[in-house]
Amino acid sequence: MPRLVIDEREIEVPEGTKVIDAAEMLGIVIPRFCYHEALGSIGACRMCAVKFLQGPFKGVQMSCMIDARDGMVVSTTDEEAVQFRKRVIELLMKNHPLDCPVCDEGGQCLLQDETVSSGHGVRLFPGPKRTYRDQYLGPYIKHEMNRCIHCYRCSRFYQEFCGYRDLGPLQIGDRMYFGRFSDGALESPFSGNLVDICPTGVYTDKTARFKLRRWDLERAPSLCNQCSLGCATVANGHYRGVMRVEARFDSEVNGYFICDAGRFGFSYSNGGEGRRERPLGPKMAGAPASGPIALAGAREALENIAAKYGPEAIGAVGSDRNSLESQCMLALVCKTRGWLGPVFFSDPVVRRKTLAAVEALDGELAVSMREIAEADFVLVAGADPLNEAPMAALALRQAARKHAPVVVIDPRSIRLPFDFEHFPASPEEIEKYLGTLLRMAVEKDVAGLGKEGEEFFRATGFENFEPPAEMARLSELLGSSKRPVILCGTDVSVETTPAFAAECARLLRISGKQAGLFYLLPGAGSFGAALLSETAEKTFGSLIEDIENGVVRALVVAESDPFHFYPDRDRLERALSKLELLVAIDYFPSETVRRASIFYPASTIFETGSTYINQEGRVQFAQPVHRGGAPIRGGQHPPRVYSGLVPGGDHLPAWKVLWQIAGMAEEIAGGHGDISPQNFIPAALPAFDGLGAERGYPVDGPRLFAAKPGFRGKGGSAGGIGGERGEDPESFDLLMVEWMFGTSEFSAWSDSLDAALCAPYMSMNSRDAARAGLRDGDRVSVELDGGTFEIEVCVSDRTAGGVLVVPRHQALDWQKMKDFPVRVSAEKIRKI
Amino acid sequence: MEFDYPRVLFKNRKPDRVATLEEYRESGGYEALQKFVGGRVSPKEVIRLVSESGLLGRGGAGFPAGMKWSSVPDSSPFPRYLVANADEMEPGTFKDRVLMHVDPHCIIEGMVLAAYSFSASKGFFFVRPSYESSAHILERELEIARKAGFLGHRILGTDFSFDIVVHRSGGRYICGEASALLNAIMGKRPNPVKPPPYPTEKGLWEKPTVVNNVETLANIPHILRNGPEWFKGLSATGHGAGTKLYAISGRVSRPGAVELPIGTRFSEIIDEHCGGMAPGARFKACLPGGASTRFMTGEHYDIPMDFEDLKKIGNRLGTAAIMVFDHNTCLLGATLNLMEFFARESCGWCTPCREGLPYMLELLRRIENGEGREEYIPNLRILCKQVWNSYCALAPGAAEPVISLLDFFEDEVRQHISEKGCPFHAKAGH
Amino acid sequence: MLPDELKLKLREVIAGAESPREKAIDVMFEIQELQGWMSDEAMVEAAELLGMTPLELEELATFYDYIYRSPVGKYVIKVCDSTVCWLEGHQRVVDYLSGRLGIPLGGTSADGLFTLLPVCCIGYCDRAPAMVINKRVFGNLTPEKIDRVLGQLAEKADFSGSE
Repeated sequence: MPRLVIDEREIEVPEGTKVIDAAEMLGIVIPRFCYHEALGSIGACRMCAVKFLQGPFKGVQMSCMIDARDGMVVSTTDEEAVQFRKRVIELLMKNHPLDCPVCDEGGQCLLQDETVSSGHGVRLFPGPKRTYRDQYLGPYIKHEMNRCIHCYRCSRFYQEFCGYRDLGPLQIGDRMYFGRFSDGALESPFSGNLVDICPTGVYTDKTARFKLRRWDLERAPSLCNQCSLGCATVANGHYRGVMRVEARFDSEVNGYFICDAGRFGFSYSNGGEGRRERPLGPKMAGAPASGPIALAGAREALENIAAKYGPEAIGAVGSDRNSLESQCMLALVCKTRGWLGPVFFSDPVVRRKTLAAVEALDGELAVSMREIAEADFVLVAGADPLNEAPMAALALRQAARKHAPVVVIDPRSIRLPFDFEHFPASPEEIEKYLGTLLRMAVEKDVAGLGKEGEEFFRATGFENFEPPAEMARLSELLGSSKRPVILCGTDVSVETTPAFAAECARLLRISGKQAGLFYLLPGAGSFGAALLSETAEKTFGSLIEDIENGVVRALVVAESDPFHFYPDRDRLERALSKLELLVAIDYFPSETVRRASIFYPASTIFETGSTYINQEGRVQFAQPVHRGGAPIRGGQHPPRVYSGLVPGGDHLPAWKVLWQIAGMAEEIAGGHGDISPQNFIPAALPAFDGLGAERGYPVDGPRLFAAKPGFRGKGGSAGGIGGERGEDPESFDLLMVEWMFGTSEFSAWSDSLDAALCAPYMSMNSRDAARAGLRDGDRVSVELDGGTFEIEVCVSDRTAGGVLVVPRHQALDWQKMKDFPVRVSAEKIRKI
Repeated sequence: MEFDYPRVLFKNRKPDRVATLEEYRESGGYEALQKFVGGRVSPKEVIRLVSESGLLGRGGAGFPAGMKWSSVPDSSPFPRYLVANADEMEPGTFKDRVLMHVDPHCIIEGMVLAAYSFSASKGFFFVRPSYESSAHILERELEIARKAGFLGHRILGTDFSFDIVVHRSGGRYICGEASALLNAIMGKRPNPVKPPPYPTEKGLWEKPTVVNNVETLANIPHILRNGPEWFKGLSATGHGAGTKLYAISGRVSRPGAVELPIGTRFSEIIDEHCGGMAPGARFKACLPGGASTRFMTGEHYDIPMDFEDLKKIGNRLGTAAIMVFDHNTCLLGATLNLMEFFARESCGWCTPCREGLPYMLELLRRIENGEGREEYIPNLRILCKQVWNSYCALAPGAAEPVISLLDFFEDEVRQHISEKGCPFHAKAGH
Repeated sequence: MLPDELKLKLREVIAGAESPREKAIDVMFEIQELQGWMSDEAMVEAAELLGMTPLELEELATFYDYIYRSPVGKYVIKVCDSTVCWLEGHQRVVDYLSGRLGIPLGGTSADGLFTLLPVCCIGYCDRAPAMVINKRVFGNLTPEKIDRVLGQLAEKADFSGSE
């Protein structure tokens, strides 16, 4: 551990720490442009020059290029270094257009800050300024090359960090240009980070362009709730609207970056045009009502149902996008009032997979995305990281960049921004591949595995399975790895796979590895829903039956839209029309909201404090950024109504609405006073005793684990399934899957994401396609029990045989099936 | 010829013709290969002999050749690569071109021996576009060497195999910088990369790679055949070793490349081997080692031209490309021209070079065009100091002519400013 | 569209490399040999052959001096403008060529035969002033020598336009 002195202060830093980082540990931020912790040092901008007074280096040197060493004495304030940095600024500002007054970066511009702090003010250069032609980079990023200072951050982030290959450095000398081969949308779904990472205004957020000035914004640390990873964000509010979302640094979760779905998928909170207008006013029987009247009306109607049919005739429905607050309140209401539920899951298999994952995760096995990036072997089982949890794909890439082999076992023709091994296995075969690879990797250590290990090991033997040739090499690499991670999905995998993956990870641990386990869950609220699973055994499917049988007469649906997820729309419509009462609490203008007898607007994550537990058990809190209300935009004056409220300001956190309409004021918080999640979350989840805090949880994100470390010895389903499907080879399993854009509710209601959509297509294996007489690009109709949908076919060698992969796409009318799983026989697919 | 110096690299120099394999062999060519590779002499012995000979790299930096080879760790992985740097893009430099046209087999044998010393299996001949004729000659002669068993699979029937391909550059000065050159070969943008890791540990495709100048390589067969003591004895000074190819251009009677004992006095090179100054021209200054060295005035007209003596006067031997300027040459104009070159060829990686060189260019151009101002002179000095702290050596090299112009010819620069124009313009018609 | 014959040849060139990208310059030179310059279409096709994206190839194409991303004449005349040629009167060479061909520096003659460009030192300082036409170098330039060279080239072009 080298000790060095920077600006007369001594510090000891880990071996390999750059001087620029050592200084930062002392709170001394050395100016820099090209250096970025996530990208490493390249010594290009020469801005981080400091004076080395003693030690192995002497004179003015770049602090980003030199490792801290014993005996170094460094000055950041030495006159020579200060003058050098000032001259670097002068050189960089030589061509800068000084268009700061109209630049969206103004106010958060590193170049601006460092120009001012360097003291540079007068341009001595007598020549003309260089100018460039900008490129069209797509709907999200505005290009403004004249502002460029050529720090290479953009191209290094884009190519090296993310692995996309359509933006880079062109030309040489002072004609250097950063751009694409030709005008066109950036291919990377992480392109939004260019806005954050560019130290000046070359790349600005088009969705926010000319709408705001940085210093006018209300900003708060927020979270992304669009997938289960829970990436840290900063939300920016202005004029009652969310203007922009930026990445927030979280060393364990997302690092410095977020994906484009998370960055640009906020506009549902502001609402859109027409059917996308956000429902901001309470309604009763389709007519506007004031907040107190709607709440009292709902409470009265629910009491009537309870009196008439008993409280269990009221079903409570939540979702995996609920905050933990909403989920806990739903659980408490059901417990206290005797309502049926809560229901968080649509499909019992998904529910059991999520539960299995949460139960399997313990403090030893669970790894964060940072640890994935440091893994030396990653097994991806039944997961499509780029589509299901985009930032996980970026974490995998960081591991791959450090030469970690990544092996994907999945039926889909997975795409990832790096080289990986893919075994296109059907969902039933995933465990077979996973188990066999593992078995081959630890076979020779079998003696040291102990009794439980041996037991599991025996159970991973799959008969009649000839492993693919590449497996020998891969198993050897897995065998010699030290920090392998298993990343397991919960969407397409069969029911037993999450538990099986956990056993595999434990087996690797027994064999002496620092093995880790990382699940992808269906949604941001899945972990919380699973923790509350004891009281939430029901799924939406069985609730529908209860409605049909007349057991359930009323539904309270909080932040959930069965029309989005339920596979049989006709049946859903029929069931809902049988209800006597449908109370909807939401911020989306969903079909459920449209049909509600009583609707109460819910606050979004930007308007209310929300807790989410991400898929690795990390408890995180999103602070509200603004109070919300009808956004002021488009030159329209807000409604002229005489009221003490902000126009459109009736919305409340969903849990608060539930609390009121269930008449819980008496039970919780002792009567009339207000109520805080601090009180009721621990009531539902004792683990939160003393943990919760109004202003957020400890920043390092405490982690909750349902499980205790240790081998379960259950061995998953291993030997049992994984054989041949043994059914009609002329029929296919229909796999409904997630896409990064176009399948989530956020995507459906955020017009800001429309530009990222592409038309849905159905992937199938080339041999299957040939047998069915289909070719790539063919349009087909697929007949289901309740009707047909039309879709384009995409043929791939890398799609597993026997499956059809279809996205739950908003442009696709797919909800015409009885229930999952769905099998489609070949003759039901017709070319049109 | 009145000076009876031993000729080594130019031994087989023919007017308007390339020496053939037979001619090369008659002069002792490929004997070293037979002895060391054919005889399976330890590669360490090759390195020892070359180290002992005191051969310094002829590409400009003057790094000891043997030391470079021995810095490939014994334990490092295979394949290993050798690159012959024939990029030679610095203004005034053309000695390697002449060498490739004189005796290509001498370079090829040198490459095989160098490769043998650190067990390289593949060699690249990196050639710039305007040397297409050299590339053509090399490809032809490589095939001849291959057929003769001196190159390729199982050289001379031993288990040592090594082959060479010619890699054509797209043409940029920066490609001559070793780390940029490796990027160029790999099809990446040829930006320089700072060590560590050194190319000898992680070079081409992360494998050990040695980059040598072609003149350096051409010396190897001769050193190995005649021994290090003989090589040292070739020098005109006590501290140098070997002969040196000097490339003289500019205002002399007979510009060209000549092979002389290293350390031959500047006066002798100009007066005896180049026929003196051009008719009517008087010596004013020269750049002694290529475009990125300092102007040298008549004060040092008698200096021994080797690495050490030039270093003593704060200058560099560089590539020993001597550009001679006469009393009618506007040195500000010459510096401006050099800066145009460097600014144009900057790869654009780091700020001082990318932005600083065009800055200097603008100031120099304004002074030359009569738009100069007094404050440009201190500003130029500051810029010269600033670019010294660039990422690679390009910009510091570009600053050398400027700073020496201001050191030795500040009056001439001031004259441009006060007279609002170039005092030579009328005289020389530049 | 690149001719199939050329593509076949390029595939062979690429196959001999340690990694395909190594041959990026060779591939572009071969295409320029045939078409004179690298059009957008040629870039896309070449990139595909090399296993690169068009952008990645563009990163190289725009780096180098001898790759042309704009149309050029059949003969690209590059006059050395570096120090020794400057000293020996490169401007007179440029002026003479400019006058003879009726084009400024950077221009292409109306018949599509000649493009006139400056080039940095071509390593023929001992024969200054010098120029390089396509990849052939001509030194010790005088008006008479330039006339002779241009005459030869024009004749050749007339005789074998398909070359």
